[in-house]
Amino acid sequence: MKKKQLIDKLSEETGMSKTRTEEMLSNTKNALTDTLSDGKGVSIPDLGTFSTKTNEVRKIYNPHHEAYMMVPPKRIVEFSPSSGLKEKLKFVGRDNE
Amino acid sequence: MWAEIMSEKITFKELVEKIAEQSQQSYSSTNNFIQELVEIIESGLSESGSVKISGFGKFELRWMKERPGINPQTGEEITIPGQNKVVFKPYKALRQKVNKPYSKMSAQILEGELQAQKKPSEEDESLEDILIERESPIQSHTDSVKDDEKPLALDNQANLTKEVDKSSSMKWSYAAAAIIVLLAFMIMIFLMQQPSEQPSEPALSEQTEQHEELDSPVTDTEEDPAAAADQTEDAPADAPPPPADEEAVPDEDSPQELELISHNVSPGESLWTIAESQLGNPYLWPLIYYLNQDLLDNPNQLFADGNLEIPTISDPENLTDFEQEQVALGYFSLYQWAQTNAPDEARYFLWAVGAFSLDLLEERASEVDAEDLQFATQR
Repeated sequence: MKKKQLIDKLSEETGMSKTRTEEMLSNTKNALTDTLSDGKGVSIPDLGTFSTKTNEVRKIYNPHHEAYMMVPPKRIVEFSPSSGLKEKLKFVGRDNE
Repeated sequence: MWAEIMSEKITFKELVEKIAEQSQQSYSSTNNFIQELVEIIESGLSESGSVKISGFGKFELRWMKERPGINPQTGEEITIPGQNKVVFKPYKALRQKVNKPYSKMSAQILEGELQAQKKPSEEDESLEDILIERESPIQSHTDSVKDDEKPLALDNQANLTKEVDKSSSMKWSYAAAAIIVLLAFMIMIFLMQQPSEQPSEPALSEQTEQHEELDSPVTDTEEDPAAAADQTEDAPADAPPPPADEEAVPDEDSPQELELISHNVSPGESLWTIAESQLGNPYLWPLIYYLNQDLLDNPNQLFADGNLEIPTISDPENLTDFEQEQVALGYFSLYQWAQTNAPDEARYFLWAVGAFSLDLLEERASEVDAEDLQFATQR
């Protein structure tokens, strides 16, 4: 699904104009991104929970530099789908299984 | 910092209010908008298995095969049926923004630990020794070059100089190859014997002895350049797989796709023997496993008369970067398989992932067990 298709479909469903829809979509993405950037999580009903996790500092051996290196901590996004969504999509596309 | 440890959350209501305010929309129409968006994501996943939201991320369905498990309440063995898993992959912009607090930090080289932490059995170090030793016959050779009794050494000098020039780029490929072979050997022992003890320690110490033997004659030959040249010629050949010739460097313009052919499994074959006969290198067997994962649940079990997709590898001794990554992916799926089915062996597969593609290992670092990762990054 392309961005255009997504907006077409959204504007059709919500009855908003395409410009408005695009703005709303972009605001939604920004709000989610800002929340996650603050290190906070949020649950969206019927979709799931977005949260962040910080990977601690770790030591690796870098063969290129032939040395041990300290890898800095990294904060990553985690997503866990809602149980409803998980159930609904459990066997999608695998009807024969 | 504490906020992350507590993994603080905002409520959905707060999120909707935020969006509503920014968009100058009512709460209910914003709420409605998000509901519709969620529905579109769900129907998109159900129709095509993936929904991309530009500038944000991608939702995807990933099929998890049927696997054995244990009912934690009764302790009885059950089969967990195959099912889809919904995954979300954030795009770069989101990843970068979320990681902003740490974005200015870069990896630091730990100087003091360089030598102290290296185990004597490390192949790359032994190879380094060999390569350093290579240079000394050339230098000592200039003293004895007038001595016409040693034309052999003279011929070799040109080759050696070339090889030493290339050594910096090739050194790691030798080391990687040696490590891979050692590891695959260990894995095969594991797979064949299903042992209760840990055979890795004897295997490692054997390897150490081998390298000590390998090192000592090289060191002894400084007085005799001819012999030294012979030794150094032999030395890289001992580190399997041997470098074929001067064109041993992997192709830069490597294809980004594997050509697949179908292979009918005959009774008595294993992934190992198929990789040996079809790919030319038995240690590439995880690649076949990776490409046929939907058919092969247990990598140790093959069903005769089934058809497997076999990739065509142009040169099994010199894999392209892409092929290496594919093999690494194969080892990674073996790692995931082993996590549930043979937890004691899992880390060796993860180690092999790093041996083929360190990038992949780093990329998947968040998906693996911390202890395994530590083991896998010790090299």
